[in-house]
Amino acid sequence: MALMPKRVKHRKEQRGRIKGNATRGNTVAYGDWGLQAVDPGYVSARTIEACRIAINQYIRGEGKLYIRIFPHKPVTARPLETRMGKGKGDPDHWVAVVKPGTVMFEVLGVSKEAARECFARVSYKLPVKVRLIGRRPTI
Amino acid sequence: MAEDPKLVAQPRAKLGTAECRRLRRDAKVPGNIYGHGEAPVTIAVPAESLIPIVHSGHKVVDLELDGSSQKAMFREVQWDTFGSHLIHFDLQRVSADERVTTEVAVETHGTSPGVLAGGILEMPLHTIRIECPALQIPDRIEVNINHIDLGGAIHVGDLQLPPDVKVLNDPDEIVLHVVRPTVTAEELEAASGTVEPELVKKTTETEPTE
Repeated sequence: MALMPKRVKHRKEQRGRIKGNATRGNTVAYGDWGLQAVDPGYVSARTIEACRIAINQYIRGEGKLYIRIFPHKPVTARPLETRMGKGKGDPDHWVAVVKPGTVMFEVLGVSKEAARECFARVSYKLPVKVRLIGRRPTI
Repeated sequence: MAEDPKLVAQPRAKLGTAECRRLRRDAKVPGNIYGHGEAPVTIAVPAESLIPIVHSGHKVVDLELDGSSQKAMFREVQWDTFGSHLIHFDLQRVSADERVTTEVAVETHGTSPGVLAGGILEMPLHTIRIECPALQIPDRIEVNINHIDLGGAIHVGDLQLPPDVKVLNDPDEIVLHVVRPTVTAEELEAASGTVEPELVKKTTETEPTE
């Protein structure tokens, strides 16, 4: 099963809009290489889990993976073949809100070429355009 | 530590967001220089000369401004959201007789036998905070990991530093260690399956009220 919050204040949320770029979580903090979102979007918990499995299969025994996003937002859906109305649907799945610039995954202990190939496999699963970034120089 | 690179700057007459954006469009980076009790000066430098210096890790530059040269060190560098363009920098005037505190990157060299044996190299500290003479700041601290076996670690106290450099981090802090790959709690939880999350409201209702 995928990631989800342990406790929430409200079962359902409004959709909202994804405005602006990421001002936090936009640098490589723990690893050597990061996968940065270029577009805004929702990344579902199942997608995060699929990415985690794909990365771990690639870097198994060599490096370490850090997941920098968490699916905090519930998405509701209506049952099939039901009429409109009768209130909002039931919670269906959980998504992480990703703004442009968000570093979603990081890997440590692998070369740049390995990180590039690893993240290339992940990028096919993601609903947003991504790019590989390294650590910013220390000042 | 190599010779300090030269940076040619021009004073900025106009200030403000719009003027800074115009400078960036002309491939220049706006910045400030301050310190030593003198008035701060707003400057601009060409991005092509600034970016290689920032990437080299060198902290002190020979700043040429209005025909005079002075030593200055980087205090802050601001990047855009994607980390691809420099948008602003701060310099502080320094002299040879003063000590400064700054952060330097830790770089690993070699191959750890622990990693070859199936371990994972973790690096809790990518940078360390040091105090040293202003003109002798090391670009980076190099750590040889050729002798780190599985379960081995390098602490802040084990780092080999240039003379006259004092570390401000706790000496017992771990800089890097080689650990056995383990199944994390997160993965176990993911494998075990979960139900709908608990509502915060539910727990507050059950608590006795006074």
